[in-house]
Amino acid sequence: MPEIRRQLLRLRANTWERLPAALRPFTWFLISLAVLIIPTFDDVWMRMFFLVALYATLGMGLNVVVGLAGLLDLGFVAFFATGAYVVAMLGSPVSPAVSGTLNYWFLLPLAIGVGALVGLLLGLPVLPLRGDYLAIVTLGFGEIIRILALNMDNYTRGSQGLFEIHKPDLGFRHIDDVRSFYVLVVVAALAVWFVTSRLRESRVGRAWEAIREDEDVAAAMGINTTKYKLMAFATGASVGALGGAIFAPFIDFVAPQSFTLIVSINVIALVIIGGMGSTQGVFAGALLLIGVPELLQFQETADFLKHFGWLRDVINALISGFNTITFLDVDKLPPAEDWGEKLALYRFIVFGALLVLVMVLRPSGLFPSKRREREFARREEEPVPEGTAV
Amino acid sequence: MAGAALEARDVGMQFGGLAALSEVSFTVAPGEIRGLIGPNGAGKTTLFNCITGFYHPTSGKLLLDGTAIEGLAAHEVSALGVSRTFQNIRLFANMTAIENVLAGHHRHIHSGGREVVRIRHPSGNRLVDIARRVPAVPLAAIAGVVEIAGAVGRPAGVRKAEAAALEEARNLLGAVGLEGRENLIARNLPYGDQRRLELARALATRPRLLLLDEPTAGMNPQESGAMVGLIRRIRDQFETTIVLIEHQMRVVMGVCEQITVLDYGRKISEGSPAEVQHDPRVIEAYLGTRAIAGGRRDAAP
Repeated sequence: MPEIRRQLLRLRANTWERLPAALRPFTWFLISLAVLIIPTFDDVWMRMFFLVALYATLGMGLNVVVGLAGLLDLGFVAFFATGAYVVAMLGSPVSPAVSGTLNYWFLLPLAIGVGALVGLLLGLPVLPLRGDYLAIVTLGFGEIIRILALNMDNYTRGSQGLFEIHKPDLGFRHIDDVRSFYVLVVVAALAVWFVTSRLRESRVGRAWEAIREDEDVAAAMGINTTKYKLMAFATGASVGALGGAIFAPFIDFVAPQSFTLIVSINVIALVIIGGMGSTQGVFAGALLLIGVPELLQFQETADFLKHFGWLRDVINALISGFNTITFLDVDKLPPAEDWGEKLALYRFIVFGALLVLVMVLRPSGLFPSKRREREFARREEEPVPEGTAV
Repeated sequence: MAGAALEARDVGMQFGGLAALSEVSFTVAPGEIRGLIGPNGAGKTTLFNCITGFYHPTSGKLLLDGTAIEGLAAHEVSALGVSRTFQNIRLFANMTAIENVLAGHHRHIHSGGREVVRIRHPSGNRLVDIARRVPAVPLAAIAGVVEIAGAVGRPAGVRKAEAAALEEARNLLGAVGLEGRENLIARNLPYGDQRRLELARALATRPRLLLLDEPTAGMNPQESGAMVGLIRRIRDQFETTIVLIEHQMRVVMGVCEQITVLDYGRKISEGSPAEVQHDPRVIEAYLGTRAIAGGRRDAAP
């Protein structure tokens, strides 16, 4: 038994497990070092790292719905907003809904629970839908929640928003600066990582995957597809709500304009860029998708680019050569001191090019799960070997 | 205990104006191997889909050991002990062989023993059916939370159930001749092995009635012969009733004890292989009649 169990685990091997065993402690060391160094950065950087970790958490939640159960959910922001509003409406003194505020540590599990419930509410009507139709309906659902928050201003204060949200307090430490929030979101991310990886390797995870592969057959094999699809929605939604519940006190201003379609798109894009179904991929995707646009406008990046005066000289020499040959008049590059400013201005062009590059070079994502790799391999090879053994 | 008895009473399946099945009645005895034959489009697979809950027959009754199963959801029918394979192999393509079988085991991997499925027979009114389910929703929600907690926390009971399932899944793969291939991706298996894997997955649900849809399609004579042996072995070893759709006459005549013949959604003949072979209606359905005025086809495949 243990032997086959090991085989089963080996086959589940991902990028991490394929790493030579000798390198693993070293990699762990590097990762822990990186995590430990992060709190020494200044607040601008910490904010970026916080957002990266937050989006990675959301990505892991969405991965359950999209990567495992194969239900394309484009309205993930709805659950994020639910979590944020639960914490804000019950934890803000300006909230018109209730007088007085509740403790954050009570609101956090409440937000997760309400998130799961909203996930069920979305799940019920979309149960019979598949593929594109499901995507459209969930897309609409994401917008409905935002518009609801905007118009129910008796409860949510509409676009004026809720602020002075009750901050989490650990007794020995009040979580109210970026660094503490970063630690909080990292703890949440690790917890979600643990939960989702355990789910993946269980009866529940197998049922989800069976539904993704072939829903009808899954039902014929005794899997109650209704129940498991709802469970996938609820699990993903509660993770989304958890993210929202951490985001609300951090940003300290909860208003509908924070919960637009772009959040859903970012989360699904980072799941896809990272490699659908893979956890490391979610982190890599979050770093690339959320981290890079921020990074491109940092002062440090501009300072770094100042060292590339020589590159400018080389390129300018090439341009003048080109101009003499072709009689064209191509502009010379600006001085390297200005590069940072230009980059900040045009960062989304650079960012877009980067995304295109990633998808061209690694169509199945940065760190594809083995399974996803296989799905892509199918298009290139004809795998059924000769000589059927009987 | 040797499988379940299946009885069809005047089963009809209407798709718009097309009667895919009409007034089909037959009885399969426990432990029998029954062949279901007929020209293409005769309604054989439709009948399977009706039995397994993929379709809900528009008229008639289907009884499994006396329990009505028409109109039940697919997973409920499966819980009552009906399992099947598919004409065009439908494996969980990107899962490994053993994961496919474990997915078939789903209902039996439960820390509290077998998962209880409450069968609710449809009342005929969809709204009433939905309303009747409402009281069970809170319980189902709690069960879902408990299940997720079990999967995450992995208490001893869950670990034990998983280990037992893994053992049984491996035995099943051995029984169909796939030992040593546990960890291959289903999609990458050779064609014959995919058919065997589908069989193992169907057996993992612990069926009392097994429906095989063209188990030897696309196989050469040697492979078909091996499959015939396997089907017999399965019936004896797993104590299940088997109904199989088949086109290869050699297989049908070799393995089936009784044969039911369908044509245009109607039962046209039934009996032992020898009887059916000589039934003029069967010959007509397959080969057509030239001179008879009522002949419907000039030639059939």
